[in-house]
Amino acid sequence: MPVAYPLPKDLSPATVANTASLLRIVALALISGAAIASRLFAVVNFESIIHEFDPWFNYRATKVLAEKGFYEFWNWFDPTAWYPLGRVVGGTIYPGLMATSGVIYSFLHAINLPVDIRNICVMLAPGFSALTAWATYMFTKELKDESAGLLAAAFMGIVPGYISRSVAGSYDNEAIAIFLLMFTFYAWIKALKQGSAFFGTVAAVFYFYMVAAWGGYAFITNMIPLHSLVLILMGRYTNRLYVAYSSWYAIGTLSSMQVPFVGFQPVSTSEHMGALGVFGLLQIIAFSQLIHSHLPSKQFKTVVLGSVISIGLLGTAAIVTLTVRGSIAPWTGRFYSMWDTGYAKKYIPIIASVSEHQPTAWPSFFMDLQFLIFLFPAGVVYCFKQLRDEHLFVIIYAVVASYFAGVMVRLMLTLTPIVCVTAAVALSELLDTYIDPQEPDASAEVADVAAPSDNASAATPSKKVKKAAAAASAAPSNPISDLVNANAPAKTKKASKSRGIFGLDTRIAVIFNTTMMLLFFVAHCTWVTSSAYSSPSVVLASTNPDGSQHIIDDFREAYYWLRQNTAEDAVVMSWWDYGYQIAGMADRPTLVDNNTWNNTHIATVGKAMSSSEEVAYPILRKHDVDYILIIFGGLIGYSGDDINKFLWMVRIAQGVWPDEIQEPNYFTPQGDYRIDDQASQAMKDSLMYKMSYYRFSDLFGGQQATDRVRNQAVPKVGPTLDYIEEAYTSENWIVRIYAVKKEDPLGRDLKSANAFAEGKKRKRTKPMTRRRAII
Amino acid sequence: MSQRWTLLLLGLLAPSFSFASQSFENTAIVRTVELGGSLVHVTTTYAVKALEAGSSVYTIALEQQQKERTSWAEAKIKGQSNALELQDLGYDEESNTYLYDVHLPKALGTDASINLVFETVETHATYAWPPTARQEDEQKLKYNTSLFIISPYHTAVQRTKFKAPSNRVVAWSTPENLDAFTLENPVTKSGATITYGPYSNISPSANAAFIGAYQSTIGIHYFYDYPVLAISEYKRAAEISHWGANLNIEDEIHLRNAGPKLKGQFSRLAHQTQSFYQKSSPHVLSSMNLHLPAGISNAYFLDLNGNVSTSHLRSTPSVARNAKAPHYSLFEMKPRYPIMGGWNYSFTLGWDSPLADSGSWDAKAQKYVVAVPVMTLFPSTVIDNAELKIVLPEGATDVDVITPFPASVAAISNHVTYLDTTGRPTLNFYYKTLTDKHNQVVYVTYKVPFSAHLKKPLAVATAFMGLFTLALAGRRVNLSLHRKL
Repeated sequence: MPVAYPLPKDLSPATVANTASLLRIVALALISGAAIASRLFAVVNFESIIHEFDPWFNYRATKVLAEKGFYEFWNWFDPTAWYPLGRVVGGTIYPGLMATSGVIYSFLHAINLPVDIRNICVMLAPGFSALTAWATYMFTKELKDESAGLLAAAFMGIVPGYISRSVAGSYDNEAIAIFLLMFTFYAWIKALKQGSAFFGTVAAVFYFYMVAAWGGYAFITNMIPLHSLVLILMGRYTNRLYVAYSSWYAIGTLSSMQVPFVGFQPVSTSEHMGALGVFGLLQIIAFSQLIHSHLPSKQFKTVVLGSVISIGLLGTAAIVTLTVRGSIAPWTGRFYSMWDTGYAKKYIPIIASVSEHQPTAWPSFFMDLQFLIFLFPAGVVYCFKQLRDEHLFVIIYAVVASYFAGVMVRLMLTLTPIVCVTAAVALSELLDTYIDPQEPDASAEVADVAAPSDNASAATPSKKVKKAAAAASAAPSNPISDLVNANAPAKTKKASKSRGIFGLDTRIAVIFNTTMMLLFFVAHCTWVTSSAYSSPSVVLASTNPDGSQHIIDDFREAYYWLRQNTAEDAVVMSWWDYGYQIAGMADRPTLVDNNTWNNTHIATVGKAMSSSEEVAYPILRKHDVDYILIIFGGLIGYSGDDINKFLWMVRIAQGVWPDEIQEPNYFTPQGDYRIDDQASQAMKDSLMYKMSYYRFSDLFGGQQATDRVRNQAVPKVGPTLDYIEEAYTSENWIVRIYAVKKEDPLGRDLKSANAFAEGKKRKRTKPMTRRRAII
Repeated sequence: MSQRWTLLLLGLLAPSFSFASQSFENTAIVRTVELGGSLVHVTTTYAVKALEAGSSVYTIALEQQQKERTSWAEAKIKGQSNALELQDLGYDEESNTYLYDVHLPKALGTDASINLVFETVETHATYAWPPTARQEDEQKLKYNTSLFIISPYHTAVQRTKFKAPSNRVVAWSTPENLDAFTLENPVTKSGATITYGPYSNISPSANAAFIGAYQSTIGIHYFYDYPVLAISEYKRAAEISHWGANLNIEDEIHLRNAGPKLKGQFSRLAHQTQSFYQKSSPHVLSSMNLHLPAGISNAYFLDLNGNVSTSHLRSTPSVARNAKAPHYSLFEMKPRYPIMGGWNYSFTLGWDSPLADSGSWDAKAQKYVVAVPVMTLFPSTVIDNAELKIVLPEGATDVDVITPFPASVAAISNHVTYLDTTGRPTLNFYYKTLTDKHNQVVYVTYKVPFSAHLKKPLAVATAFMGLFTLALAGRRVNLSLHRKL
C-alpha cells in the first residue's frame, strides 16, 4: 500500500483516540475564545455600552427584572411608553433574553460576584456566540464528522454574518436565538436519527426557549414540519420520525403556549398550521401503518387507505374553513412581505421604512460570508450525494434560508449558520481527500472499477479512523496530523482505492491553496467586524488629523441633559427610532418607540412633524408634549438624521390622513427632494424642516451655510418659530430639543403674542368702529 | 466606637449654663468677610484684654442667622498655627444668641492682652439677585449680615470689612442712626473693600436689649465671575484591598449650579459664540479642574449613561510621603453639557491608588494604618450631604478610627462583595455641609489575621474542587436503563 508521506507506526489506537479528543477540546476552546474575542472590538474601541435601538429596551427591561424580580417584570405596565396609552410590557415581549441575563445576574450575585447588570447584558451576545459555535459543531458532526464540525464551529465563530448581530453590546434577541436555533436543529436531527423521545423532548425544550426568546421561532415551527413532510413524501416515513416529531410537537407546542406573547397562536394562526397539519398527517400515517400491519386482506387495506385519505382531506378542509371563517388568523402582513417585496412599501410603510427590512444587495453576501458563499453550493451537493434524512434537512434549510436572505437583509442571519455548516462539510471533504496519505493503487485500478466510491465508504467501518484523520485536518500543522493518522494504513487496507491523489505536490498545492483561503477569510472577518459591525451607533467616532480617535457623543449628551434637567414626567416626542433610547438613557415618557405596534400613533407623530406649526401645535398640546427631539446631521455630516427619514414620516402620516398630508407636496416641481431655496412650500413650513434648520445659518456668521449631508446651501434667512422654542442643542448639533410653549396667558395665539413681543404692530384688517357720541 | 460618637454628640448638645462674666474687654474687633459663591470665609480678630487675673475662657457669640450658616469654625491665637479648644455651647436663652467658649492655653493676668482669631466658613450665605439670568447676563449675588459684631464683653472699637471678588460692586447698604458709635461716614468703599466702621464704645452686645435697639442688617450686592456650585449628594466609597495592594475610591457626586436660574432656554449658538470669543458667562460651568491624588491609575468618570469621553486626566507618579512639593494628578473635568444656572449634573468619579501611598504598618501597635481623605476638593463648593464609606479587608478586627471632625452619624456595617465569604467590616460616616476646610483625612487602624487573607483563595479553590468532583462523579455514573452492547 503506497502512502504519500510516512506515518509513525507504533501508536496504539487508544493514544490516537485520546489525542484526537484532546485536540478537539482544545480546538473548541480556541474557537470559543476567538468567537468571544472578535466580538469585543466595540468594547475595546469604545466602551462597555449597549448598542443601537432595540437593545436599549431589552436592557431597560432586564434592569427591571434584575432589580424588582420576575413577578414585577411579568406584570410590568410601562406608563411612559406610547404616552398616553402605556404598554403592557410583560405580555408584549419575548422574555427569554431578559430572563437569561436575569438568571446569570442572580447566579453571579449569589456567589458574591457583584457584576453590573449592564456588563452582563453587553457580554451576553459574545458568550452565546461561543455556545453557538459549539452547537454548530454538534450539528455538523451529525452530518459528516468531527473535523467538519470543527471547521463549521470555526466558521460560525467568526463569520461576519453572525457577528453583525452579536457583537458585545448588541443585546438583542438574536444574540441568544441563533444558538437556540442551532441547538434545536441538532436535537431534532439527533431525535430523528435515533428515534429518541429524549432528544425530541430536548428539541422541544429548546424550541420553547427559542419561542420565549425570538419572534423568528416561526422558522423552526415551519422548518421541522417541512422536513418531516418531505420525508413522508419521499416515502421515508419511519417510526423514528413519528416518535421524534410527535414528542417535539406535543411538548414544544404546549410549552410554547406558556409564553404570554404567543398564547394561543400555535393553534389559531396560519403560520403555525403547517406544524399542526403535519402532526395530524403523521398520526394518520402511523395509524394506517398500524392497521396495515394487522390486516392481511387487500380489500380492507384499500378501505382503510380510502378512509385515511378522506380523513386527511376532511382535516385540511376543516383548517381551510376555520381560516376562512376567521377562527384561525390569516397570514399577517409581515408574512406576505416575505413573498412580495413590494407589499410592505404599499401597505405597511413602517416595516418598509426599516433599513434592515430591505432586500439584500448581492455584495453583502460576500461581505458577510466571504468564501463560504461559494463553498455553500458544494456542500449542498455533498448533501445530495449522501442524502440521509439529516442531509435532506440541510438541503431544505439551505433552499429556504437562501430565499429569505435574498428578501430581507436581516434574514441573512438565518442563512449564515447553514452556509457555515455546508461550507465546512465541503471544505472538510476536500481536505479529507487531499490529506489522506493513501495513494490509489495504480495496478488495482483496472480490477477495482466497481469498488465502492469514496463517498460510500464513509459509512463503512473505516469511518472511525477517518474521523480521527479528519479531526486532525482541522489542526493547522502537519506533524500532528501525521501522528493522528498513524494507524490509518493498517485499518483501511481492505478498502484499497482505485481513485485518489497521486504524489505530494498535488496535495501540497491544494492544501496550500485552501490554507490561504482560510487565512484570507480570517483577515476578512476581522476587518469587516472591526470596521463595519462594531460601532455602537450611540457613540460615533471620527479620526483627528493626528490619527487619534475623536468621540462624538451627542446622543448621550442630549439624553443626559433631558434626564437631569427636565421634569420627570416631561413627555418627549421624537420619531419612533429614538423611543427606546430616550426611555433607556433619558428616562422620560415618549409618544412612540421602536415597538411599532400602533400605526396611528406613529402617523400622528409623523403628521405633527410634517405639518406647519399652526397645525402641529394642537396635536402637540393634546398629547401633552413638552419637548420635541430631532436628529440633525447637517453640521457634521451625519447622514442618518431625521431630514433623511422625513419622507417616511410623510408617507406614514399620509397613510392615515391622505387628505392632509401628501407626499408630492414635499418635492420640488422637478421632483427633487431639496432643503435649499428651491424647497417646496410644504417642506419649508413643516415642523421638521423648521426645527432642523432653526438658526443654523447664523452659525456660519454671514457666510454661506451648507448642509453637509445633503450638500445643499441652506437659505440665509432661516425659519422662525412661534409655537415652540429651542431648548437644547448638542455640541455638534446632532440632537436638537425644542420645548413646546404653553398657551399664551392672555389668550392670544402664540404667533401674534410673539409678534407683539417683538414690537410689531398687528395690521388691522377692519377699521375700528368709532364710538358713537352719546347724545 | 459608635458609643464614643454618641457621647461626643451628647456633649455637644448638653446645654451649658456658664455665662461669661465681665472678665474681658475687647480693645478691637475686626471682621473680614471674603465674599464668594457658596462659601463665604469670615475671619474675626478679637484683640482681648483681661480685666481679672486667671481668665482663661473667652466666649464668642453668634446670632442665629450666622450660626445657621456656619459649617466650620476654628479659633487660634494670632500668629500661631495650633487651633485652640473650641466648645460649642449652643443656644443661650438669656441672650438669644449662640455661644462658643474658647479655652486659652494659659490664663491671662490682669490687663494682659491677646489676639484671638476666630475663623468660620459660612455656606449658602449668598443668593443670586436677580434670581434668574439670561445666558449672556452677568452674575450678581447678594450677601446679608448683621452690622454689629456681637460680643458678651464691652468693645472699644470694631469694624467689618467686606472683600468683594472684584472692584465692581453693585450696591451696599448704608446704616443709619449710628451717632452713638461714630461721627464719621459709617461705611466707606475703597477698591474691592467695603468697610463698616470703625464704631467705638459698644457696650456688651450679646443680649436681646442691644440687638433690639441697635442691630441692623446690611447687604452687599456684588458681581461674581465664577459659577456658584453646590453638591447636594456626595457619596464616597473607599475600598481597601490587601490582595491588590490597592485603595479604590469612588465618588458619586450630584452637582448643581446654585447660581441664578437660567432665564429662557439654552442656546447652543450663543454658547458656541461665547466660547469662540473666549468670554463665557460667569455663571456657566463648562469645565473644571480637580486635584486628585498622585499615583492614581484606572481613573474613570462615568454618569448614568456611561463613560464621559470629554475629560482628561494628567496623572503624576506617586511621591514619597514627606516630599515637600505637593504633587497631584490633574483631572480636567468637562461635563457632558455646560451646566447652566439651576441645572444638575450627577456623575461618578473613581480611581485606584497604591495602598502604600496612604497606608502603612504600625509595628508598635501591630496594626495597619490607612489614611482615607473625606472628600475630593471641589474649589469653593459646598457639599450639603456627604457619606463616607470605608470598606476594610475581609476579616479585619480591632478597628479604630481617628476623625478630624465629628460626623453627624457614624455606623459600622458588613459589606459582602467580590468572592467574600463572611463579608468586610465597613465604616459609614454621614456629614452635613462640608466645605473646603473639611478636606481632611480619616485614619483607620485595624488588624488582619493571616487566616483572613487565605479565605478568598480557599473559598474559590473549594468551589472549583467541588465542581471537578461533581464532574468526575458524573462522568462515571451510568444512568441508562439499557446496557449498551
